[in-house]
Amino acid sequence: MSRATLKTLAVFAVLTVVVFALPSFVNDFRAQQFAYVGVYLVALIGLNILTGYTGQISLGHGAFMAIGGYTTVILMVDHGVKDIATIPFAIIVAGVAGILFGLPAARLSGLYLALATFAIAVATPAVIKKFEGFTGGGSGLNLFGTPELTASLTPVKIIGFELNFNNWLYYLSWTIALLGYVLAWLILRGRTGRAFRAVRDSETAAVSSGISLTRTKVLAFGISAAYAGAAGALFAIATTFVNPDTFPVALSIFLLVGIVVSGLGSLKGLIAGAIFIQFMPLWAQNVSKSPGAPAVVYGIVLILLILVLPGGVSGLISRVQQLVRRS
Amino acid sequence: MAAFFQQIVSGLASGAIYGALALAIVLIHRATGVINFAQGEMAMFSTYIAWTLTTNHGFSYWPAFAITLAVSFLGGVGIHQAVIWPVERGPQIRVVIITIGLLLLLNGLASWIWSGEVRAVQSPFPAGTIDVGGVAIAWSDIGTIAVCLASVLILSAFFRFTKVGLAMRAAAVNPSEARLVGVRVPWMLGLGWGLAAVLGAIAGMLTAPNVFLDPNMMQAVLIYAFAAAVLGGIDSPIGAVVGGLILGVGLNLLGTYVDFVGAELKLPAALLVILIVLLLRPAGLFGKPVVKKV
Amino acid sequence: MNRRLLLTCVALVATLALGVTAAIAGTVRGGSDPGITDTSILLGGTAPLTGPASQYASVARGADAYFRYLNATKGGINGRKISYKYADDAYNPAQSVPVTRQLVEQDKVFAVFNSLGTAHNIAVRPYLNAMKVPQLFVASGATTWGRDYGQYPYTIGFQPSYQAEGWVYGKYLARTASGARVAVLFQNDDYGKDLLGGLKRGLQRSKVRVIAAEPYEVTSPDVASQIAKLKASGADTLAIFATPTFAIQAYQFANKLGWKPKHVINNAVASASTSMQIASSAGQNKLVNGTISIQFLKDPTDPKWKNDAAMKLYRSIMKKHAPSANVADPLHVYGMASAWTAADALKKGGKNLTRESLRKTLDTFTATGNPFMLPGIAVRTAGKDHYPVEQMLLQKWQNNSWNSFGGLWGYRAS
Repeated sequence: MSRATLKTLAVFAVLTVVVFALPSFVNDFRAQQFAYVGVYLVALIGLNILTGYTGQISLGHGAFMAIGGYTTVILMVDHGVKDIATIPFAIIVAGVAGILFGLPAARLSGLYLALATFAIAVATPAVIKKFEGFTGGGSGLNLFGTPELTASLTPVKIIGFELNFNNWLYYLSWTIALLGYVLAWLILRGRTGRAFRAVRDSETAAVSSGISLTRTKVLAFGISAAYAGAAGALFAIATTFVNPDTFPVALSIFLLVGIVVSGLGSLKGLIAGAIFIQFMPLWAQNVSKSPGAPAVVYGIVLILLILVLPGGVSGLISRVQQLVRRS
Repeated sequence: MAAFFQQIVSGLASGAIYGALALAIVLIHRATGVINFAQGEMAMFSTYIAWTLTTNHGFSYWPAFAITLAVSFLGGVGIHQAVIWPVERGPQIRVVIITIGLLLLLNGLASWIWSGEVRAVQSPFPAGTIDVGGVAIAWSDIGTIAVCLASVLILSAFFRFTKVGLAMRAAAVNPSEARLVGVRVPWMLGLGWGLAAVLGAIAGMLTAPNVFLDPNMMQAVLIYAFAAAVLGGIDSPIGAVVGGLILGVGLNLLGTYVDFVGAELKLPAALLVILIVLLLRPAGLFGKPVVKKV
Repeated sequence: MNRRLLLTCVALVATLALGVTAAIAGTVRGGSDPGITDTSILLGGTAPLTGPASQYASVARGADAYFRYLNATKGGINGRKISYKYADDAYNPAQSVPVTRQLVEQDKVFAVFNSLGTAHNIAVRPYLNAMKVPQLFVASGATTWGRDYGQYPYTIGFQPSYQAEGWVYGKYLARTASGARVAVLFQNDDYGKDLLGGLKRGLQRSKVRVIAAEPYEVTSPDVASQIAKLKASGADTLAIFATPTFAIQAYQFANKLGWKPKHVINNAVASASTSMQIASSAGQNKLVNGTISIQFLKDPTDPKWKNDAAMKLYRSIMKKHAPSANVADPLHVYGMASAWTAADALKKGGKNLTRESLRKTLDTFTATGNPFMLPGIAVRTAGKDHYPVEQMLLQKWQNNSWNSFGGLWGYRAS
């Protein structure tokens, strides 16, 4: 094992310890908020593979989350499948949707792709609403209290340990997030990852070194959507409810904001991005409650971050690392 | 039959608004190669300025109109100089995020200053309607379409025949060479943002008398404007307006005569238009296909 | 190598998961209900403080102002001061859920009160009922609150249901406009559909027909096309079941098309005087005159209530406890009427108030004399009837203000 790999593993081990110890130090409700951080982290890992590593802007990842979320909820409500058991299905369905969308979308570049994916995000709520019989329409589908939802009414016992609903959500989402992190790291350090980066850096060079643009982009779309599907499934489980408004355009936009804040093409800062998505709106509200003021705060902070931290939080971490090394 | 033509007239009126905002999007895309997600909110904000001038400060319509355009122009240039120019040479995605930040900021600012209440905005056109064979055509609709067409003609002439217009095009197409021949690139790009803000203000002031003003007034319009810009060709001013008109009429007819679409799937239908056009003819109906350098 | 690495990591994660969860003991709470002491009661709710529906935040602000007034002048209820914590859900049900759970689990509210929106309250209803937390006076007119009371006994609505409202319009047209052909513009969700359903129910066995009904989406920029289609149907009556912006647009576009329906109905959500004044464009839009709507609250801009004691109180409360808010906004009155009823229920729950006793109090409940409601309207539940407000007055828009006419209309859902 190379030194870099060992170092990464060590950092990851520390991260894992911190993540799993956290609920012992924060109150029950915080655990739930951090569960959402885990959910967003899953989505951000996926989006960063597509946008950060492969250079394909997606403003439509909320749509893939919706596909995952609805897959989970429909399986639970209509087919009596246990919540965890639905997650693989959500991943597969969203992944296939990603591939199907990626096939034509691979022909689009830059802002055209941004617009096409944005169109998907905008259209999703209306389409979900239209197929009412299947999706419950505007009133949505409720999970709370159903036997398929783990721990919602009584704490769950996992090998002798009792977890209440919030802690259960926390461990569920972070287990998947950390697995997703490792998986992404493995994918990105190998040949596939090199192909992704080659396509991002120069399509011409990538083609001349024998990489198929379409295949690489479609693969990136598929993997990325699969992550979004897992995130959507977790989001639906944590929220215990879906309706068309639970996956608004704003969700897609905030995911993109999340990866830019954390830094494109790096896995280092993603947790910061997920924390930003979860806590920034709450924090902005604490600054001022007058109508409109939270949005103003959010907007200003976002613009400042982009101007001040060109490489996002990952860039900041790298810079700090360099400083440490030099001194 | 009258009902059919009524839908066409109503579609043209809505389409002219989409076209006017699409024109602003096209301008910014030509100037700085980005898509401005804050375009709708900029238009909404300008409309509030016009509203507050006429309602709270006693201005009559046309002076308020002129002041609003001037303020919008300065605002557009200012936004470009302050937050767009610094990130322009980086990855496009950062500019996209900045415009999203602006969207949130302007929307919040408008609700903060003017509250979320619905406001009535004066129309510059006479209130009446003319009746043509059972089809009611409002003067305001005729005016809206006329202003939209006039804007695109003036703009095309400006780009084709004036020195500043040519310099702007040069700055957008090839900044480094433009700089060599003495074009002040950042100011030219800023000028593009300023003009876009002016067009957005016009779109906002034309649409507000009908749909009424609130901080979210332009959000739905923005999405249709994107579709219009893509349909017509995201680099073509004429295309944007024609795209807007086609979209306005097409969606009305789809919504009225195709039961499956109805009102529910009008928006997805517009977005399907974006997707199909992007895939079949990314340059749009009026754009010149760009030869991809591979 | 890669696979081994993966296995190592999985093993690492699994071990840690077990190790750490061992440290976490499930906490069990006991004793009396949270959120209530001898000197205080904490209520919570969600409201759209940001986002597209932020104008409805006034419902929470009005209620909050009333509780502050009660605390300041009457020392609260039964010696308990009431705090009302309303948190933002940005009108997104996916946020209503965590925010409501935060109110219950972290802030430990005694009850959830006056949360706004249909889907938003449906989303948290199973949770609140499972936790046995009262979900008081939901700010939505969906029928489900009263209808599904058996399944969700801790949930209770407030305002007349949209179905009841639609029914009143139907009955009114059946009686006064025999032979009328009605065209309906409705919002394509439960709110619009309930109103439309109620209207059709009220029109049963009458000579009035709904001949065209056009939905619109909240995401659409305008309703021009729908109005053109409704006009083309040849209807002589227009019913607008839309939120304020779209209702105002409906008047505007109908006027632009030169359509002059004999009767116009505008639902309560959109019929605030301020909206009607905007729609009438300073009297230019004649269509607005003669519009029929229902009302169960006092309208703060109605000159009739200028010297009414309750509305004077309303204005003074607003001035003192919500100085920056717009006094003319009737949603504040709605909030106060709801808060008044909540205070009344808490009072009747007595000194030994618990969540359970509050639920029982509201099971068979009568509150008359709510000063913010129109005279004679009672809040009443009994037996299977869990629709608190079922009475309303019809009113007509004339001379730039609403004028109520006729007697109270009552609707029995059950």
